[in-house]
Amino acid sequence: MKDIREDIAWAKINKDVLKSLESPRNLYWVIVIGALLVFSVGVGCEIYQYNVGMGVANLDNPHVWGLYIATFIFWIGMSHSGTLLSAILHLMHADWRKPIYRFAEAMTTFSLMTAGLFVMVHLGRLWQFYYSLPYPNDRGLWPNFQSPLLWDAMAIFTYLSSSILFLFVGMIPDLAICRDNIHSGWRKKLYTVLALGWEGTDRQWRNFRVTYLTIACFLIPLAVSVHSIVASDFAMSQQPGWHVTSFPPYFVAGALYSGCAAIITLFIILRYVFKFEEYMTLPILKKTVRLTFAIAMVWTYLNAVEFASVWYSHDIASKDVLIQKATGPYAPYWWGMIFCGSVVPLILAFKRFQTNIPVLLVTSLLLNLGMWLERWMIVAPTYSHGYYPWTWDHDQFPSWVQWGMVFGSFGWFTLLFMVFCKVFPSVSMYEVKEMVYHRSLASKKLEVSGSQESVEGAH
Amino acid sequence: MIDNNFDRRDFLKVLGWGGAAVALSGCGNTSVEDGKETVVSYVEAAEYVAPGISVYFNSTCAQCDAGCSISGRVREGRVLKLEGNPDSVINRGKMCGLGQAGVQHHYNPDRVREPLLRSGDRGEAITWDKAYALIAEKLNGVSGDQIDFLTGTVSGHTKALLGNYLESLGSKNHFVYEAVSPAVQRAANMKSYGMEMPRFNINKAKVVLSFGADFLGAWVSPVHFSQQYAEFRKGVDGQRGVLVQVESKMTLTGANADRWLVVRPGTEGILAMGVINALGVAGLSLSADVAAAVKPYDKERVSKDTGVSTESLVKLAALLKDRTPSLVLLGSAAEGYAHGSQNAAAINLLNQVLGNVGKTLEASAAVPFPQIAPTIGNTAALRMVNNRLADGQIKVLFTYGTNPVFTAPSEMKFKENLGKANFRVAFAHYLDETALQADLVLPLDSALEDWGTLVAEYQPEGVQISVQQPLMEKLHPETRGMGEILLSLVKQRQPESYKAFDDYYAYLRTAMLKNKSEFANSAMDDDVFWNGVLSAGIINVGGNLNKLSSKLSTNIQLPAPAEQDAKYPFTLIPSVTANLRDGRHANQPWLQESPDPLTTIVWDSWVEIHPKKAAELGIVEGDIIAIESKNGTINAQAYLFPGIHPDAVSIPLGRGHEAMGRYAKGYGVNPFQILDRVFDGETGELAMHETKVKLSKVGKRVIVVKDEGFAGGAQHGKKIAMTKSSDQVDLSEEV
Amino acid sequence: MSVSNLLENWAEFRHTHPVDDVPHDPYKWAMSIDLDACSGCNACSIACYAENNIPVVGKDKFEHGQVMHWMRIERYWPEDGREFPDQGATFLPMMCQQCEAAPCETVCPVGATNHTADGLNSQIYNRCVGSRYCSANCPFKVRYFNWYDYPTTENVWPAEMTQQLNPDITLRGKGVMEKCTFCVQRIRAGERAVKNEGRILRDGEVQTACQQVCPTGAITFGNLVDPESKVHQKWKAQQVELTADEQEKDKEEGGTDLRGYRILEELRPYPSVMYMERVRESAI
Ligand SMILES: Nc1nc2c(c(=O)[nH]1)N[C@H]1C(S)=C(S)[C@@H](COP(=O)(O)OP(=O)(O)OC[C@H]3O[C@@H](n4cnc5c(=O)[nH]c(N)nc54)[C@H](O)[C@@H]3O)O[C@H]1N2
Ligand code: SF4
Ligand code: SF4
Ligand code: SF4
Ligand code: SF4
Ligand code: SF4
Repeated sequence: MKDIREDIAWAKINKDVLKSLESPRNLYWVIVIGALLVFSVGVGCEIYQYNVGMGVANLDNPHVWGLYIATFIFWIGMSHSGTLLSAILHLMHADWRKPIYRFAEAMTTFSLMTAGLFVMVHLGRLWQFYYSLPYPNDRGLWPNFQSPLLWDAMAIFTYLSSSILFLFVGMIPDLAICRDNIHSGWRKKLYTVLALGWEGTDRQWRNFRVTYLTIACFLIPLAVSVHSIVASDFAMSQQPGWHVTSFPPYFVAGALYSGCAAIITLFIILRYVFKFEEYMTLPILKKTVRLTFAIAMVWTYLNAVEFASVWYSHDIASKDVLIQKATGPYAPYWWGMIFCGSVVPLILAFKRFQTNIPVLLVTSLLLNLGMWLERWMIVAPTYSHGYYPWTWDHDQFPSWVQWGMVFGSFGWFTLLFMVFCKVFPSVSMYEVKEMVYHRSLASKKLEVSGSQESVEGAH
Repeated sequence: MIDNNFDRRDFLKVLGWGGAAVALSGCGNTSVEDGKETVVSYVEAAEYVAPGISVYFNSTCAQCDAGCSISGRVREGRVLKLEGNPDSVINRGKMCGLGQAGVQHHYNPDRVREPLLRSGDRGEAITWDKAYALIAEKLNGVSGDQIDFLTGTVSGHTKALLGNYLESLGSKNHFVYEAVSPAVQRAANMKSYGMEMPRFNINKAKVVLSFGADFLGAWVSPVHFSQQYAEFRKGVDGQRGVLVQVESKMTLTGANADRWLVVRPGTEGILAMGVINALGVAGLSLSADVAAAVKPYDKERVSKDTGVSTESLVKLAALLKDRTPSLVLLGSAAEGYAHGSQNAAAINLLNQVLGNVGKTLEASAAVPFPQIAPTIGNTAALRMVNNRLADGQIKVLFTYGTNPVFTAPSEMKFKENLGKANFRVAFAHYLDETALQADLVLPLDSALEDWGTLVAEYQPEGVQISVQQPLMEKLHPETRGMGEILLSLVKQRQPESYKAFDDYYAYLRTAMLKNKSEFANSAMDDDVFWNGVLSAGIINVGGNLNKLSSKLSTNIQLPAPAEQDAKYPFTLIPSVTANLRDGRHANQPWLQESPDPLTTIVWDSWVEIHPKKAAELGIVEGDIIAIESKNGTINAQAYLFPGIHPDAVSIPLGRGHEAMGRYAKGYGVNPFQILDRVFDGETGELAMHETKVKLSKVGKRVIVVKDEGFAGGAQHGKKIAMTKSSDQVDLSEEV
Repeated sequence: MSVSNLLENWAEFRHTHPVDDVPHDPYKWAMSIDLDACSGCNACSIACYAENNIPVVGKDKFEHGQVMHWMRIERYWPEDGREFPDQGATFLPMMCQQCEAAPCETVCPVGATNHTADGLNSQIYNRCVGSRYCSANCPFKVRYFNWYDYPTTENVWPAEMTQQLNPDITLRGKGVMEKCTFCVQRIRAGERAVKNEGRILRDGEVQTACQQVCPTGAITFGNLVDPESKVHQKWKAQQVELTADEQEKDKEEGGTDLRGYRILEELRPYPSVMYMERVRESAI
């Protein structure tokens, strides 16, 4: 089967994609309203916590970090998929990415924005958050450049701005199409401004290609560094269970993993909601699924490396934490993480499930659950079982306020995403056109040489 | 210390509320506007007022009767913190946690603020004039022997005035009640040593063998003994003192022992006799009658009776024989039985046999002024008042410094009997359980705003009279000092004799000046003398030493260990903790939140059960257990505690208030209520450890709120709290 | 706001430790706690509440692990598996160890917790944003976070009780981290008091609240660089070096008669508190 039909007319592509800006299925509105409700739960919890104090989250001394930080890492991880699909596959000339990179990039941006929320709600004094930014001030006060948390703040900020830029730049030709196809209203004004006067001249295309490539190149190391830095929050500390040198690659793998899983989920939803069956095709899904499977195995391997290095290092305190994760009160979650993260993806190895939408939807959700549990299992157990036995505290469990905000964050993310898809073309029109064009050229060539098989392998 | 050569009363007036209001505005909790009419301008402040500068005034800690002298930090008219007065021979600059919380007694939000007259089940605020008039009216036509005072331990000039008042009423009925008091021991000491409370020189002993005396916790004068203990640990000639503690439930002192010997409840006396016997075996020469008396107590029998191994017994005897002098102490765990006096006699005999009398146990000084010498409370007093109430012999009852409705075993029906008096007056700081039953509640000044003197029972050197003076102006204008009230009351009866005294301060000053020659040079100027007294906060008088004798009494009848009662198989040990004692300070939040040292539990009661026993009964930590005695049932959370005899369970005293204030009410349970009515055969004291109980699970489980974490008291191989054996250290080289 | 300003300020502010490159002068505050003297009475802990305006959180919050005691007394049982703890318990007063290379300091994103020139781990309340990273990285877990706004919480400081508050230190509002300061307000007041005399503090002129109250005198506090000070002499007698991570005592297994040690020294936080082992009689 082919990644995409080779005979789709360019006008049809425009029409189909532009239609997504107008009349999605009704399910779209159900999702938007649902997301709004879910988000408002989170907002309610934050208002309550802000007024009364962090105590309502049921954090304690010394169990000072909880779901907020775990979920923060989760969303940061999620953001890696966009960069992966868009930038890395772009550099690798894997053109099957073309119909799906746009929404993946949007996902990057929005998951970063969601992650940012968690940094905020986690702060005891949210209203003083700007102290942690290096802004000039006449007291000569600077943040502490030694703190991984500061690197974090800066890395995320950089990553977020670069991602927005990348998303935007990649959208310019499409924005011009929107501008040219819509004749009045605020949308017209918006697209006119954002299209930056794009006319599709050769010079514009040349500059565009170079710019896009440059940002892509810049973004890849940035993405890797962001999650490495998030990993440093833990690895640079002195705490048992955190003080692990393999954390940065481990975190990056986890990030790519959860990102890919999320792409599968969103792929399936978008495909249905915006009637993108023509573009988000099953062969493309299959490729994504295979990629996800590969990353799942890398992650599993890195997990094993971490456990083994802790086990054989004779760092008793770290070993205790590991044993405690597997046998203590966190055991159900920890084993749940192993199950969802390492066992469930085995389904993806079976060809017949690689295009089975219902199975893939459930699987991808389970993978994401596993990745979320992974983050929680990194953060919490160390607090319960640190260096100082007197303070061991195994009964700490997040309150409904924490759960409410975790829940609410999905609403916030979905809301942003859904609004984006309705306002901007979530499938790249110009790239799909390119893809269709290149494919038709290729198959014409193949018809001449007569070998169908090697085409799929070529990409 | 600043000189007190100014008028202290002006000082207080000037500083008082005005200062407080100014200072408070800085804390953001109130505004200057709130106290506008009382704000005092510092532009015209007296010379001794320096805003922002703290001054220290000496006074006396009134949180217990040990008589520690304190030094209160006062700034802008508010007392902020209490420190120990370094010149006091009792506490030498140190304090205990209970004492630290004295400021929370003073600033307590639940203090009674004006006289309250019962009207139905409510208290109606009345004026002092009305209150005094009412008392006069109610006393009218009541004969002296129908008027009783039930108080806690009293001493100093309060006691003197109280005596005068009683005399003016023609009453001899002053009953002094302390719910937890070493009263059996006093009687035993009187017999053995010729005095109730000799000096115990822990610091001079090489071995201290303590039968349940919690001298680091709540026993007699803990701050003083803690200091002695520190010296004792450093050792005489570099030989570190050895502490052996014998008890059925580990006290704080037991937790600090080199060897903690758990005994079957009530067999302390048998063990003491066994040790004497073993000493004889080890070669200590015993007089013939002693040898005869201890003959039946061979190590096998003693081991069988007490549960202490013969090996421990032999080692203990060897240690006591080798390292002299030693000191044997006798505490509440030993005296709390029907045969408490016998236990005490046996333990004192051991001390005598070891030759400690005159060395580590010395004569104490007698207070030269009997009017102000302490009258020490006991539980027999409660019994007498209760009987008199029950028989309708009391028409008017005054209570002060005691909370019998809370501390009397419910079986005594004290609360009911109280109803039989016609008129009940409570002098109170809080609306505690007893004050709630009163017809008239008279609000008292806190110890930090009152004048007075306090003479402690335990006197380590000579006699120290601790002087109490206000550290700040009254918080509540309508409270009165106990001395002030007594003076007003006695003036009602004998206006002529007391008309020279405008107030209690005048009385106190005059009384002290009258004895100037005893305290100092009689030629000294009155003001100089008086200011000196206030500045020092203490007066030391030599006092003649009591006569120390050592009468060996071998007439000791120790019953065989009690058979286990099939119906009530556990002995209940109501434990006295350093911070809560009998519960009178339970409304001080620092004390509620300060973890119990042994269990680290806060804000609640618990029942200690040995883990082995708990396993047998299927009890785990946090199970709610019904503890049932013949006289009632209380429910408490289980705490598995290794430091307790498996046949005993223990519940701390002091919690379980139904009234008193926001920090006390509703926290924990009150084991006083279920105590069996068993008394010491000789003294008639309530035998606190004689209550037998049974346990049953009520089917609920809670999380025990405590500081101890999941790991309990284990260190998991980490070098956190480390211990060395004494043969591995050389203390003499340490600084 | 030049870059040089940034770099200079920052270098200054991240004053390096341990102490070799910048010797402590004239003060290095340190402690010694004798576990053989400490009876576990908790007086120090309550005194610390009184001195440092520590809120009483109440039963519910205590249950949730939100207690604020800067000084906690830990009780350890012997782990020899015997039926009864017949050598008693060991009590250990634990508060901020004022580490010379404090793990809490390096991680604070805003530099709200720093090292002072006289060797204290300081906490700047109004700079703290409440990230709690410092607590996460403190090996001793002696940092306490204000989970609620205690000054306005019911029954924490009812009106009358506010009058007891020590005006020398602030009340901490919600969202800031706090911990034992070695009673820095007393140290600073003492330093000011002797400044006019042109001298430095002598041993004993400043006592911490816990030291002052302690009935057994288990706590010794003072200036470690002053050879006259008790704390200096104790550290010296026990051969405990501030900048070492393995002391004389640990070099041979059970071989010395020294008692002084520092907790979790192997993590190299270089604590300023030396503990002295509890002793138990061998003859009984
Ligand atoms: N009535 C009256 N008015 C006066 C004066 C007076 O004596 N009486 N004095 C005058 C004088 S001399 C002065 S200097 C001014 C002082 O006036 P302000 O400068 O307003 O002084 P502060 O109240 O100290 O406020 C400083 C703010 O900075 C915040 N802050 C603390 N740390 C940081 C940080 O790291 N970064 C940032 N961005 N903020 C931080 C604090 O939370 C606080 O909100 O008042 C002037 N006004
Ligand atoms: S022992 Fe008694 S008098 Fe002394 S400080 Fe403690 S409570 Fe106060
Ligand atoms: S006050 Fe002293 S003896 Fe009591 S617990 Fe504290 S350090 Fe130990
Ligand atoms: S003990 Fe903890 S809080 Fe104190 S300095 Fe060390 S790391 Fe920091
Ligand atoms: S809680 Fe405060 S002091 Fe601690 S790391 Fe965060 S900002 Fe710094
Ligand atoms: S040094 Fe001061 S702040 Fe630290 S525990 Fe002692 S009393 Fe508290």
